[in-house]
Amino acid sequence: MNGEKKKMVWGSQVGVILAVAGSAVGLGNFLRFPGQAAAHGGGAFMIPYICALLLLALPIGWAEWAMARHGGRKGFHSGPAILGLAGRGRIARYFGILAILVPMVVYMYYVYIEAWCLRYAWEYATGGIQLAGPITDQTRDAAVFFDQATGTDKDGVLNMSAAFWLFVVSINIILVYRGLKGGIEKFCQFALPAMAILAVVVLVRVLTLGTPNPDFPDQNVLNGLGYLWNPDFSKLGEFKTWLAAAGQVFFSLSVGFGVILNYASYLKKKDDLALSGFTASATNELFEVGFGGLITITAAFVFLGVSGVGGGFGLGFKTLPVVFAQMGGAGRWIGFAWFFLLFLAAITSSISMLQPVKTFFEEALAITSGKAIAAVSVVCGLGSFWVMWFSKDMVALNTMDFWVGTFCIFLLATVQIICFGWIWGTENGARELDQGALMRIPRFFFFIMKYVAPAYLLVVLIGFVLSDGRAEFAALRGNQVALYTMILVGVVIAMLVVMVAIGERRWRAAGLDLDGKQP
Amino acid sequence: MNTAGWIFMLVSLTLVWGTTIWAYTRLLSAPPQEAQSDDDE
Repeated sequence: MNGEKKKMVWGSQVGVILAVAGSAVGLGNFLRFPGQAAAHGGGAFMIPYICALLLLALPIGWAEWAMARHGGRKGFHSGPAILGLAGRGRIARYFGILAILVPMVVYMYYVYIEAWCLRYAWEYATGGIQLAGPITDQTRDAAVFFDQATGTDKDGVLNMSAAFWLFVVSINIILVYRGLKGGIEKFCQFALPAMAILAVVVLVRVLTLGTPNPDFPDQNVLNGLGYLWNPDFSKLGEFKTWLAAAGQVFFSLSVGFGVILNYASYLKKKDDLALSGFTASATNELFEVGFGGLITITAAFVFLGVSGVGGGFGLGFKTLPVVFAQMGGAGRWIGFAWFFLLFLAAITSSISMLQPVKTFFEEALAITSGKAIAAVSVVCGLGSFWVMWFSKDMVALNTMDFWVGTFCIFLLATVQIICFGWIWGTENGARELDQGALMRIPRFFFFIMKYVAPAYLLVVLIGFVLSDGRAEFAALRGNQVALYTMILVGVVIAMLVVMVAIGERRWRAAGLDLDGKQP
Repeated sequence: MNTAGWIFMLVSLTLVWGTTIWAYTRLLSAPPQEAQSDDDE
């Protein structure tokens, strides 16, 4: 839209797919999915999981790809502008603020977790994590190391992880500043294959563990796999199983995140959308089910038994170091491979969160890319510093994660699918998706997009709020850090509202079709 | 691991590996697109 600016483009179709897949593949694929599956029916969990994939995540993802490219052709690349176009007016445009709020706030805490991953990888590479003695001592030492490294034991502590945080934040800024083709795409073209190789290395080691402790013959690889995959069909009758599956698929695929809205807006009219969206989702599923579903739980079960397999992040950062310690000399390098894999998974996601925010600053304020990334770095840096400073029991992190990283994602997805199915129209959407398509999306998916996905989303949204919302509301009342964190989020929302108002005035003055009135 | 566990695991793995391989094969075997002018955008 700014003729004076250099056009942002992707280098290749595979490049954009790897960037979207990199955005989707994150810590949740390796840490959250296996825990959710094991807790909600094991192999039977795959039934609601696949239903949610086909009825929710895939259709909403396609809707995002279509609305984004349509917006890009009209000169818009940011969530509020694109949703204003598809939603034909101001209400959708202001709801589109969610497409900036979500990546912006999630980035604030995600980049800190990313710094933990890099720190753990570094400690393994340099021999800094050495657990010895009985398993109980190792478990205690691993937990103490985690508390100290992450600052979960008290507020206001800046330790070595802060240095890693600064380093990680700098890499993110540099990659996004280098642009789509020279920064994000180039990095993902290296990172995704590297992640696959690291995952295969760790997987092979885990699957060849056999029965490492003859005193516990039941703790073997097959029983470890069985712990995750043996189906418990009784769980299918519980609403929370379906809720958990929908939540897992949803967060895993990065739909309702504002990322695809930005990334796909740089595609050209005859570029493929349908197969690209499908391929990015398939890649994410490969990492989630193909690797995540075989590594973490199995490894923990083999060495620690049933008692060692609980908890998402706890499993990754507290339990697995104990597991690696049982692997002898190779454990150090398997530990390094594991945490570097998590770091790569995290950074390909975090750069995808920074990019839509940067684009919005450019588009709304008509500033250069350099000024936009500088402004975004300051705002996100301050928010991230808040999370790092108020680290006790991860209250700030958890507050942001629930209200923005969970609730707002559902809300944004609902807004998007309503804009797509009911305002812009599935006919327009189908036409956009068919343009340049390398695969034809079966027509029943448009019925799903219009009727099934919004209804499914509303049920999930209400169920989610009822199941988890009360505890989070109570936390806001009872904890000052949680309350101030929400005020911080409120300030960010106010800032984004002002920016949309400024952008709206500019876009109108420039004669752009910001309400989607022209065909 | 019981028989049902094997079935669920193998079917799931076949699905994710199969769809990924199918998708990339289809993508990479597509004829190269002609250069698109700015008018096409």
